Amino acid sequence: MSNQTDTQTKIVGKPVPRKEGRAKVTGAARYIDDLRMDGMLYGATVRSAVPRGRIREIKFGAGLPWDEFVVVTAADIPGENCVALILLDQPYLVAKFINHAEEPILLLAHADKHLLEKARRAVTFDVEPLSPIFTLEESLAKKEIIWGEDNIFKSYQVNKGNVDEVWAQADFIIEGEYRTGAQEQLYIEPNGVIAVANADAGVTVWGSMQCPYYVHKALLKLFALPEEKIRVIQTETGGGFGGKEEYPSMIAGHAALLSWKAGGRPVKIIYDRAEDMVATTKRHPSRTRHRTAVNKDGKLLGMEIEFVIDGGAYATLSSVVLSRGTIHAAGPYNCPNVRINAHAVATNVPPHGAFRGFGAPQSIFALERHLDKVAQVVGLSPAEFRRRNFIHEGETTATGQVIREPVDMEGLLARAFELTDYQAKRERFARANEGRSLKRGIGFASFMHGAGFTGSGEVYLQSIVGAEAGADGRVRLLAASTEIGQGTNTIFAQIAADALQIDFDLIEVAQPDTSNVPNSGPTVASRTTMIVGKLVESAALGLKQTLQNSGLLKANYTTDDWRAACRRHVEQFGLLKSFSQYKPPPGINWDEGKYQGDAYGAYAWAVYVAEVTVDMLTYEARVEDFVALQEVGKVVHPVLAAGQIEGGVAQAIGFTLYENVVWSEGRMLNNQMTNYIIPTSADIPPIRVYFEEQPYAYGPAGAKGIGELPMDGGAPAILNAIEHATGVAFNHVPLLPEALMQALNQTA
Amino acid sequence: MNPFTYKRATDEADAVREVANGKNAKFLGGGTNLVDLMKMGVETPDELVDINRLALKRIEQTPQGLRIGALASNSEVANHRLVREQFPVLSEAILAGASPQLRNMATVGGNLLQRTRCYYFMDTSFPCNKRVPGSGCSAIPGFNRIHAILGASDKCIAVHPSDMCVALAALDAIVRVAGPAGARQIPLVDFHRLPGDTPQIETNLRPDELIVAVDLPNSPFARRSRYLKIRDRAQYAFALVSVAAALDVQQGRINAARLALGGVAHKPWRALDAEKVLTGARADAQTFRAAAEAALKGAQPQQHNAFKVELARRAIVRLLTEVAHETKGGAA
Ligand SMILES: Cc1cc2nc3c(=O)[nH]c(=O)nc-3n(C[C@H](O)[C@H](O)[C@H](O)COP(=O)(O)OP(=O)(O)OC[C@H]3O[C@@H](n4cnc5c(N)ncnc54)[C@H](O)[C@@H]3O)c2cc1C
Ligand code: SF4
Repeated sequence: MSNQTDTQTKIVGKPVPRKEGRAKVTGAARYIDDLRMDGMLYGATVRSAVPRGRIREIKFGAGLPWDEFVVVTAADIPGENCVALILLDQPYLVAKFINHAEEPILLLAHADKHLLEKARRAVTFDVEPLSPIFTLEESLAKKEIIWGEDNIFKSYQVNKGNVDEVWAQADFIIEGEYRTGAQEQLYIEPNGVIAVANADAGVTVWGSMQCPYYVHKALLKLFALPEEKIRVIQTETGGGFGGKEEYPSMIAGHAALLSWKAGGRPVKIIYDRAEDMVATTKRHPSRTRHRTAVNKDGKLLGMEIEFVIDGGAYATLSSVVLSRGTIHAAGPYNCPNVRINAHAVATNVPPHGAFRGFGAPQSIFALERHLDKVAQVVGLSPAEFRRRNFIHEGETTATGQVIREPVDMEGLLARAFELTDYQAKRERFARANEGRSLKRGIGFASFMHGAGFTGSGEVYLQSIVGAEAGADGRVRLLAASTEIGQGTNTIFAQIAADALQIDFDLIEVAQPDTSNVPNSGPTVASRTTMIVGKLVESAALGLKQTLQNSGLLKANYTTDDWRAACRRHVEQFGLLKSFSQYKPPPGINWDEGKYQGDAYGAYAWAVYVAEVTVDMLTYEARVEDFVALQEVGKVVHPVLAAGQIEGGVAQAIGFTLYENVVWSEGRMLNNQMTNYIIPTSADIPPIRVYFEEQPYAYGPAGAKGIGELPMDGGAPAILNAIEHATGVAFNHVPLLPEALMQALNQTA
Repeated sequence: MNPFTYKRATDEADAVREVANGKNAKFLGGGTNLVDLMKMGVETPDELVDINRLALKRIEQTPQGLRIGALASNSEVANHRLVREQFPVLSEAILAGASPQLRNMATVGGNLLQRTRCYYFMDTSFPCNKRVPGSGCSAIPGFNRIHAILGASDKCIAVHPSDMCVALAALDAIVRVAGPAGARQIPLVDFHRLPGDTPQIETNLRPDELIVAVDLPNSPFARRSRYLKIRDRAQYAFALVSVAAALDVQQGRINAARLALGGVAHKPWRALDAEKVLTGARADAQTFRAAAEAALKGAQPQQHNAFKVELARRAIVRLLTEVAHETKGGAA
């Protein structure tokens, strides 16, 4: 049943100006580094140079006025020395055992930034080295046990049917192994916070972040203070992509510890780019193995998948990244027998973390590369093979989730092919490539992406959104969901304006401040529009309901009537407020123990097509054209939605052909923007974005989440196109010219 | 950043005097390289002598060729009509580098003296013989994908990052300098040095000498000259390998040839052996392959950059083919 979504959509669907757009383009928006407070000190983090070891001694170099510095070590922590997230394994500061390079050991603050930098370099550690491990192979082989009893943060097993019985009946059994590398989020604004902390006033933190309540939760433990003594305020945030999901808890804690020790003087910590790149989280590297049984008609009989991600030194979010990757590993296909074994393992590198897609780009890359191989073995085209196996309404995913909405993957595929002239190009390129040094290719990937927290996550979060109306009829939305450049504030205002049928300009969104807004959950997991947007809609409708129940507002009203009703309500009863809390849509069931059931409330469905050229002389691969077609329920804001897709595809192109994190002894070597190569606008082809709309009954105005989706399809589509161009199958990303050269020389 | 004093020079003599007498003083051109390195603590001058007000911006035709003032911006040089007509390789090389904003600020003098992009040189937490003589080279045992394959030493394997200089090497350019002891001229090919035992000394310019101009002599090959840069992305990246080539071809024969490589050595690398192969030979694929072989003879790749040897050969063949046939793009 679609309860409220049939309200007239006048503003939803329109490219209204961004709420915070004017402040950003005029430079009026204040980012954390623009803020300054009286008596403020600057903070710096002294980090480990080695990947693993035991600290024997901390040494302070000669020639610096150490008594002028605020110095914080693990011994100064008032509460618990752990960054509270899922597990409590990661310390704020190393007390004794170092588990990764660049791990924070000691904090310094001083009013003079220049002196601070000198001091940071003058602190050294005498460390007894311990043997580190750096790869997921070493971790799985237990070369050293560096975490828990077996180096395993989390394992899942998904079972559907009985995969053990299919191998005997299969006409073909196809195996493959696929790998993806780490990737840096590279938001424009590096991590930064300002903190004021002392025992009387408690702790207040301002900063660049995605999830104010995550920081709040972490600071509660760190300082052992009651909830009301901790306040977290999000300032204008220059991008996150997941990179500001968990890490801000760390830097916020550091600044607060320094301020606490300094008797409450404000302390600012801003990472420069090099520190941000070397020390903070990246996308989890992965290895996926597939074993697939198919019959001679090209029907999938069984899939056995092993999915392993490298979580780095601490558990952080690895278990949930693993979960999303696991659930997406078998894709939008109807396969009766599936087994997925998944593990997140520990290595001595800085913890890997949230990054747009959250495990799904890794497992989808493997699947969509693998299915091109399967098709080839079976003797079908990649498209025909997929057509024979696409999932439909009423069929089940790997977790046994029955798809209850109409899904038309065949239709998406047909339209994407039409938009790209895929069939003709597939044949034409193959002919024309003969003897050419510039080879062209075209390939695609078909996939889905679940919106919202996995499994029972949303039920557990119990998100709340508030709305309040003043005497002037202006409506303020209260949510902890953050605007980080993706358009949260605009979309919330659009949804509320349509729910109330009043002017868009009458809606404002409160600054996320834990002392003022309820916990609407983290700004992650493609959940902000679909899940929180729905709460915005019902909180707004609650305001209307109240006014109508008290007879102040007629059934049909204008914006002026609305204003008058609000004024009268405020005069008679005070401020008008309404809150709305998450309730799962009916019929959603998830069994966490068996990893079975409705993994997500809704999926967005997509087909992406990439066209490439590969220069056989210089080994440069370029994406020449890209079509991204997706079914997203309802497009709330066409410009912002297209922007999400374009940005995600650009990031996926980087992930595929450019972005290579170079590791040495567990430390990123190329942590500069001149040697960590991300594509520029000159490397990105026109990204042609198309939407289809199939309203989702429980999304606001029918919308589903799309933030992460565009990260999923690029890598496999591009590598499928490169295989088409060169005849060589590449099964890892990033695919750099060296690897192309090596493989193409071997086959030449 | 280290504290420093700032002084604006009024004329050439004043600039030279300031740096000669100053304590650890440096000229400031566009600042696009020097200031970055100061922020990272790699360069730590105590004094900056700003030369931007000096009258060294002109680009003028002389009887012998073209004279480019040391303060002409990279954009001005690349977009200058005479440069584009008479020395197209120089225009192409400059435009292949950095970004429009950087090229607007960067000067010819500064470009000649820009420093290597070796990661370890640029990160003061690593040992580096170039930054701290005797401290060791982190690149040799480290990640050396972007490093030298020609002319390196066991003290340093860094490469010179400039695109402009590779073109200048192919054009027989001459650097004009002024110093406390007077003016002198240094051929571009002798301007930069190989690392040897003293990688900290990168050029034969003395620290108190000011670059005032670069001369481009007229030649029969300069008009038919091109630049090919291979890099990790289409913009805003240094060369993995680059090639500047100039040919004088008459009736299918090569009368004169110039070939220089970038991204392969501590200096812009003139491929003299390859030029010998080319001179007097037929302008055909076989000759170009032989030239490429000759250019890379003796190449000694590092652990992570063996690909550069083959990449350089291929780039040479492609560019020579295009210059000889006056075609452009990847058609082959
Ligand atoms: C992000 C980025 C990307 C880049 N990409 C490329 C690229 O792809 N290809 C490329 O070739 N370059 C590239 N560059 C480098 C750029 O070309 C150089 O920074 C620029 O040419 C330096 O010129 P400048 O005038 O700014 O020099 P400055 O930074 O002012 O000076 C550099 C050095 O030259 C000295 N100096 C300057 N002028 C004189 C003079 N007249 N006489 C004596 N000494 C002098 C200074 O003392 C200093 O030691 C890039 C730079 C950046 C920041
Ligand atoms: S290659 Fe040269 S610049 Fe790089 S670390 Fe070694 S000595 Fe320093």
